[in-house]
Amino acid sequence: PLSPQTRAARVRAGKGDKMVTYEQAHAPHHIGHRKGWLSLHTGNLCGEAGAAQRALEDAFLRQFLFGTFPGLLADEVVLKRRGNLLVICALLGRALPPHKLYFLLGYAETLLGHFYKCPVRLELQTVPARVPYKYL
Amino acid sequence: SLMGARLAGSHGVTQEPKTNPLVSVSDEPETLYKRLSILVKGHDKAVLDSYEYFAVLAAKELGISVEKVDKPPKTIERLTLLKSVHIYKKHRVQYEMRTHYMCLELKYLTSSTAAVYLEYVQRNLPEGVAMEVKKTKIEKIPEHIRKPVWDTLPPVEEKVKS
Repeated sequence: PLSPQTRAARVRAGKGDKMVTYEQAHAPHHIGHRKGWLSLHTGNLCGEAGAAQRALEDAFLRQFLFGTFPGLLADEVVLKRRGNLLVICALLGRALPPHKLYFLLGYAETLLGHFYKCPVRLELQTVPARVPYKYL
Repeated sequence: SLMGARLAGSHGVTQEPKTNPLVSVSDEPETLYKRLSILVKGHDKAVLDSYEYFAVLAAKELGISVEKVDKPPKTIERLTLLKSVHIYKKHRVQYEMRTHYMCLELKYLTSSTAAVYLEYVQRNLPEGVAMEVKKTKIEKIPEHIRKPVWDTLPPVEEKVKS
């Protein structure tokens, strides 16, 4: 049973003007029940190695994408690893014209491919606005 | 009327039968497998269930007999760590990592069937899921133990007790 004093990944109730997405509204103990996983790899399974390296790569990738798409990320980035291939699925807003988005896509793919020495595929989707789940 | 028509049996030069470069035919006998055991591990039970449906369907389509589909109980690895960076030993945080398993056992395969099935099933392995494969080979009994030893030895004369 959780203590009411835990602060991890929780958005506290406010005046009703703060918009919160489905991902942000649910606390970490809902992972596997109401939430899915944001980063899918085999490092954390029983008898598998490489959890720390994957965690470091994930942290770097999220910060990198936050910087290459300034103010455009609508929700958290989902990272999937299939063998050697790294698939990054991101939801973006529509502030930039498509040709600029394509340039940033190619730039991110080649740079990350050379950095991590593995094929990187970036799958982008634009949404008109962030989808609100609740107003807290 | 019949100008330029290609009539059956009227070609002058016969073509050689087309050989598919991906299919290889060899004369050496194939290794036979009694059992092919595939253990799939994952964090999400729903993903494993859908993968089980997919693997069983693929085996049925290829004509491979499925011996059984076993679901061993999940293992939970728990960690209790200190909540704070510096002191506060009494306040801790607990994490757990759940690993669900699904074991698929297939009977009586040849090595080429096993190669094809494993390649297909491994290419479609979902992310976040790990697989371990164990193969049980069938071999012929070696020459030196085919016949029992007492048949090959010369008969021993019985000693007469006085």
